[in-house]
Amino acid sequence: MHFHKHYAYIMYILKTTMLIITLLKGVPSKTTQSASLTGILNRESMEIVLNPHDLKAVEAADYIKRRVGGKTIALTMGPEGKLSPIVRSLYTAEVYGIDESIILSDRKMAGADTLATAYAVANGVKTAVERHLNAVDEILNTVDKGKDALLAKADELYRQNLLPNSIYSNLPAVKDSIVNRLVNGELQSDAAKGLLEAIKLELGRFIVVAGIKTTDGETGSVGPQVAEGLSELYGRVLPHATYVEHFEIEADLEHLVADRILGQVSQRLRMAIPCLLTISDEYEPALPNPLEQHLVRRNNYMGKTPAPLVWTANDIHADPLRLGLGGSPTIVGPGIDVGKPPVQKMVDRSLVFFVHLDKVEFDGKMYGPFDKGDLADGLPPQLMDQLRANGSVGQFTVQALVEELFA
Amino acid sequence: MSDYSDYKDVWVYLQVENGSLSRESLEVLAAGRKVADKLHQKLIGVVLGPATKETLKQAITYGASKVIHCNDESLKPYFNLRYIDVLTELTTKRKPYAFIFVENELGRDIAPRVAYRLNTGLATGTIELDIGEFFNALEKKKYENLLVQIRPDFGTRIAKIFTPSRRPQMATIRPGNFIPLEPDTKRRGSYEEYKYEGGQGSYPAVVQDMKELPKPKVDLRDAKVIISLGLGILKDGKGNARNPREAYDFAVKLKEIIQAKYDLKAELGATRALLYANLKELEGLLTHDNQVGQTGVTVAPDVYFAIGISGSIQHRVGMQKSKKIVAVNTDPGAPMLKIAHYPIVEDLYDFMPKMISMLTEGNEGGR
Repeated sequence: MHFHKHYAYIMYILKTTMLIITLLKGVPSKTTQSASLTGILNRESMEIVLNPHDLKAVEAADYIKRRVGGKTIALTMGPEGKLSPIVRSLYTAEVYGIDESIILSDRKMAGADTLATAYAVANGVKTAVERHLNAVDEILNTVDKGKDALLAKADELYRQNLLPNSIYSNLPAVKDSIVNRLVNGELQSDAAKGLLEAIKLELGRFIVVAGIKTTDGETGSVGPQVAEGLSELYGRVLPHATYVEHFEIEADLEHLVADRILGQVSQRLRMAIPCLLTISDEYEPALPNPLEQHLVRRNNYMGKTPAPLVWTANDIHADPLRLGLGGSPTIVGPGIDVGKPPVQKMVDRSLVFFVHLDKVEFDGKMYGPFDKGDLADGLPPQLMDQLRANGSVGQFTVQALVEELFA
Repeated sequence: MSDYSDYKDVWVYLQVENGSLSRESLEVLAAGRKVADKLHQKLIGVVLGPATKETLKQAITYGASKVIHCNDESLKPYFNLRYIDVLTELTTKRKPYAFIFVENELGRDIAPRVAYRLNTGLATGTIELDIGEFFNALEKKKYENLLVQIRPDFGTRIAKIFTPSRRPQMATIRPGNFIPLEPDTKRRGSYEEYKYEGGQGSYPAVVQDMKELPKPKVDLRDAKVIISLGLGILKDGKGNARNPREAYDFAVKLKEIIQAKYDLKAELGATRALLYANLKELEGLLTHDNQVGQTGVTVAPDVYFAIGISGSIQHRVGMQKSKKIVAVNTDPGAPMLKIAHYPIVEDLYDFMPKMISMLTEGNEGGR
């Protein structure tokens, strides 16, 4: 890296904190587990696992955190009891993992199609971001209330994993947090407020990552629809890139360049942050740079909070009319079994006609017409013997198979 | 409830590839034609970005009643947010009854956001479309002439998806499930050049680069005969381990003979399970391009050989529309044998050489 570019990067990295939100989905462990009679998937009665494609999203989120610092938040929707073990398992990994998880769990959200799901998830993402903005606001409101009040408030919020080390920290290595400098008299109240306001702007630059699709039928619509839902909620367009195989955050930390494959073309898309990515199965994160690890620590939060936050429709301020079954424009009709089983011919077993016969008279009854290759089933045994004897009917052989396949 | 009586016509989104409509576009035209005929409505093809007169005419030849084409500098190269804006404006102004996309990377990039912006449903991954009615038991109301969006359900069933009370009814079709119509050069249709009225706009994203990728070496979609191998090739009928390379060599031989003898394009296929087993014996011989099934290619050849494939639902959805299915498996309970037209309960290491010698000997002789 050129010195100037790297220098610019370091300058920027010293003043950012990024929220990285990973969308996860619980899917049935076996695809043979059927929907209920009404056609709605009953997730409470089946074994649920993490959608395998979502692991790449977790890796991508972790990469962003290693690169610029911040906090990775997993967000999922469905029955809490089923999803809780899944998200908890993602904390354990040393190399990658998540810092916090949110489960949107409410009867009102059940039975949602992709539109109602995306609406709920977009509201969940916005609420998650606002929680962090509110924490900074609380600090802003306490700046002028004396050292003790400020330290108490900062410590309380820090322990809830809501403040980055750059605002307040109990890490011995981070001595220059805004609150510490304020308390030590190294920073004036107005200057501190300016820095805190700048951090609020940074929190608005979040990245949402998702898997490219799920294994249970939804074919990759929710990611782009969440981007659209966030655009609606924020009143400005939030860009997205699907099928991302590689991405890099630019030195200004306000843009992201994504390479993606769309069928027979590859495309490089440069997007302003906030943005949403769906991560291809081909994605491989780059190795962390140890120097950067040290730098970005001040942008990280206290650590991991493994107990998932469980939010209802109320918690995410969603319009109940747009949630769940009622908010879903698509309706699943009753499932139906597929078609008829094919007419089967068994090599060396089935008896078939070798010739075309318009009709055959036997015992005063007419049979036919029969085409060459038709199965000779259900005929009286004596007629069958007669037909076999005169060579009209015989065993279906490999040779007959070859003729039928390629004739 | 909104009044949707002025929503009419079936729209399909078409893609141009190397100067002509993509094969998948011809499939979505066939899908749209079927439902437009049942509704007695027009089928309108929508093309964004550069396209010649000849290309647009192709849409009519393959079933459209009309083509709406929108092209300006901002639509080249492909840029998702811009395409979404143009399609939203077009749809809002013209009010189609249904709007169908192909479920490929581009369809998945834009259709979901267009649907969200229009506050309507999107039925993804449909394998069949029809027109039918839906009775909503809660409202005690019958909806008629709805687009019936049929998709594979979990397990062995299919589900019908309806969008009763929003318009347009939006769907994506899975490639490989609709057969393009026979081209009819005499078919008449109209053309419209549409000018986007939303202005230049400013976007929080920009396309920096666009590159064509090399074509895949194997294209299963236009093969007439596919010989697919599954994990069953690792063992013979007696349960003894076999070198999978043997079965592969038999399959290649079979492919070559069929190509030479019947002048049919034949290709090798594989299941996901076989490819993900990463067998060193098959390294470089079978790749993702050969993969048939949900995460691979959906195919419907004239003849499909399923050799040592038990037939998981993920594989079956990718090949069940094949015209003649030959399944070879020692396990009589294998699901593949149930959907095959020619179930062969036999050791594949016996069957394949038998088939090859039958084809090489020629079949001039009697039966």
